[in-house]
Amino acid sequence: MIGEIWPRLRKKHLYPEIPMPKAEEFTGAVGAEAEQNEGVGLEMKQKQMTVNSTFLFRMKDKMPAEKVIEALLDHGISHYTFCPWDFHTHLMLYAEAKKVMGDKELAKQAANYFIDVIADTHCVKKRMTEIPELHRCLSKGRVEEVIASLYQRIWGIDLGIPHSEGSAKGHDEVVRRLARIPYLDRSRWPGSIQKFARSLKPLLTVEQKEKESKGGKGNSNPQGEHDLNHYSYDEIDQGLRDYAKKTMALAEFREVVEDFSDDLKETGYGTEGGMGRGRGAPIDADVLFYMKLAENYSIPLKKVPLEEKGSLNPHSHSPWEIGSPFQDVDIWTSFGKILPGVTQIWKKKEGKGRGKIEKTPDCLIAIDSSGSMINPRKSLSYAVLGAACAANAYLLNDSKVAIYNFSDAPMGGKDILSYTNRKDEIYRVLCKYFGGGTALDLEDLVPLIQGKKNLDLFIITDMKITNLEALIGFFGQIQNRITAVHIGDNPYAARFEKAVEKKRNINIFAVKKKEDIPHIVLGRIGEYFNPTHKGR
Amino acid sequence: MRTSLSQKKGPTGRLNARGRGATNPFEEFKSFTYAKADFHIPLDQIVQSTEVVMDQIRHGYEKLLEEEAKELVWMVQYNTIIKAYEVAEKYVREIDYSAEDIEDFCFALENTQKIPYLIPGPAGVYISALCNYAKEEEISLKLSELKTEINLIGFRLPKGKRLVIEGDAGDFTGIGLEGGELVVEGNAKNWTGAGMRGGKILIRKNIGLHTGEWMMGGEIYVGGRVRGLGNIVEGKVFERDKLVYPGKIHHPNLYY
Repeated sequence: MIGEIWPRLRKKHLYPEIPMPKAEEFTGAVGAEAEQNEGVGLEMKQKQMTVNSTFLFRMKDKMPAEKVIEALLDHGISHYTFCPWDFHTHLMLYAEAKKVMGDKELAKQAANYFIDVIADTHCVKKRMTEIPELHRCLSKGRVEEVIASLYQRIWGIDLGIPHSEGSAKGHDEVVRRLARIPYLDRSRWPGSIQKFARSLKPLLTVEQKEKESKGGKGNSNPQGEHDLNHYSYDEIDQGLRDYAKKTMALAEFREVVEDFSDDLKETGYGTEGGMGRGRGAPIDADVLFYMKLAENYSIPLKKVPLEEKGSLNPHSHSPWEIGSPFQDVDIWTSFGKILPGVTQIWKKKEGKGRGKIEKTPDCLIAIDSSGSMINPRKSLSYAVLGAACAANAYLLNDSKVAIYNFSDAPMGGKDILSYTNRKDEIYRVLCKYFGGGTALDLEDLVPLIQGKKNLDLFIITDMKITNLEALIGFFGQIQNRITAVHIGDNPYAARFEKAVEKKRNINIFAVKKKEDIPHIVLGRIGEYFNPTHKGR
Repeated sequence: MRTSLSQKKGPTGRLNARGRGATNPFEEFKSFTYAKADFHIPLDQIVQSTEVVMDQIRHGYEKLLEEEAKELVWMVQYNTIIKAYEVAEKYVREIDYSAEDIEDFCFALENTQKIPYLIPGPAGVYISALCNYAKEEEISLKLSELKTEINLIGFRLPKGKRLVIEGDAGDFTGIGLEGGELVVEGNAKNWTGAGMRGGKILIRKNIGLHTGEWMMGGEIYVGGRVRGLGNIVEGKVFERDKLVYPGKIHHPNLYY
């Protein structure tokens, strides 16, 4: 039946990029629940919609199966084509609801109801749909009845809910408030969901208490649950990236990620190659925040010519022997003959010198986490963000990154990570905060630099370093490319700038406003690494 | 070749696939006819009229600020309150609004994109005027998520009106109450019920200093603690069902 309906539905919804829905029998909704409620009618995983055949069977006396399928699919498609549209919007709606509800579960419920109201209203306004008929036939709990009253009011269609005199009595005020929300105005959704949640809060709170008294089991949503199963890994990744960029607020991001941590883990997020530390380990929301935020910025890296060219070039002659490759024969010195003793072949050697082959060197990032720097786990640290962006640039170019996180290093305030391409490890060390004084232990840097002829150094600090003179002396001895970023103007920074002004391999970037780090510094790094960018 | 191709074009200019063995990539859209599928639903009208009313309310508030807080400074004095209320009345009378509009306005006050200035004094006077002239006898404002505590709410609440505030109220709550019933489902700050002539103020939680200053009548019920009483002329103040004024000992602004 779906096969017959689907082409018509696709056309109705202007050909959305969604695979053909399937019909399956879902388990669950048994016993008492099944008697009270029809169970889940539609399941959505990534972009695959699945209609529950059991639900269709239970609805058979109330509505023809074809109409039920059409209504369910109209609803499902509207989620993809209008609301929530993407994971970022879903997260945003949830976060706004949480501000009002204060409770994770209540906020999820409020966001889910809101998303459903928008999807259904959009569908009723824009398309010919059987959604109103489906709502008329579905069994309703207290909240569902209020939502149905709302639909009656805003759609102007009778759904069989009596006005004020009936069972929705007492909720008239709620319905009146809900009906004033501009559901179809996407730009006003953040404010609208707050109003929606505020109006529904007392009802949802009562329902949650009843649910708890029943042992945590409530009625399932016939139109499908709104969990993270809707989205693919890439969509979740993109959503988190957008959300981090949009909010730029660590605490807000942390709260949302922690609330969704179970769902994120279920979708396999944070368990491999990401920021998690093995299966079952909690998701470090702070690390994830910097990881996703840094992915919004990119630095062009100029690859440096390396000495080893890597290709084999003709170097000298040697006599040809039977079995030697013919393609290496030098026909000019062999007089055009293939004869042992006469014929000569080229002996090849790997080229030396600055050739055309370019590579990005590895990078040692030194980050100051002393008391004068912002604690990256309390608020957005632009130093960590800047270092993270730099680390990303090297990792994307197949180079490795080492981290030297220091405060009062001689007294043990340090964390050293040797060269690796494991992003999670790098971010974990970058986000570490020691506080206290600022001093480098140069002995720690030597093993990280030694034996690496081509290595870039990136240091980000406020330059209020106790042994600044020693650091200047150390930088004077090495020839590696060094990028030093100092935050704010202070005598220490001026001293450092003056001391290394003649060193051509050291570039200093002063950032007067911390907020400028990801923008100004990274842009200039681009200039530095890529001379063609100058003057832009 | 060009001629033969043009012969194969259909009336709409599309290539006729017949005879060429190629399939039209837009075959699926062949039968598609665009029709503006946009149905009118009551939501459109509700949202539109809500916007119109909100614009009128906003306009009234901006006019009040223009007239009474020109330098964006407003001193709470007897005369300034009276004058601001008269101006507010003038604009509010002309608007046809509901209790929900008042609540929306309270939240709009915190949205700087909608209303440029939130000056708690005039805002409170304006909201009080809105409540006093509302059609409904009972008004419930769910303000617990409001970040700003609004001062002067419930000013001159007339007899027969009941105003319920969900959340906290600021200073000068229910001053000059004229027989109405004001319920605050949270805390109220200083000078609550000052100069009230009659009616009832019920504060579910705690109340600040100078409670009932120059109060001429009526009752104040406090569910929590009274931080300090003002110089009360007449009326009653209850703290957790216990009558604290008139009482045997009167301690103005006593810190409990």
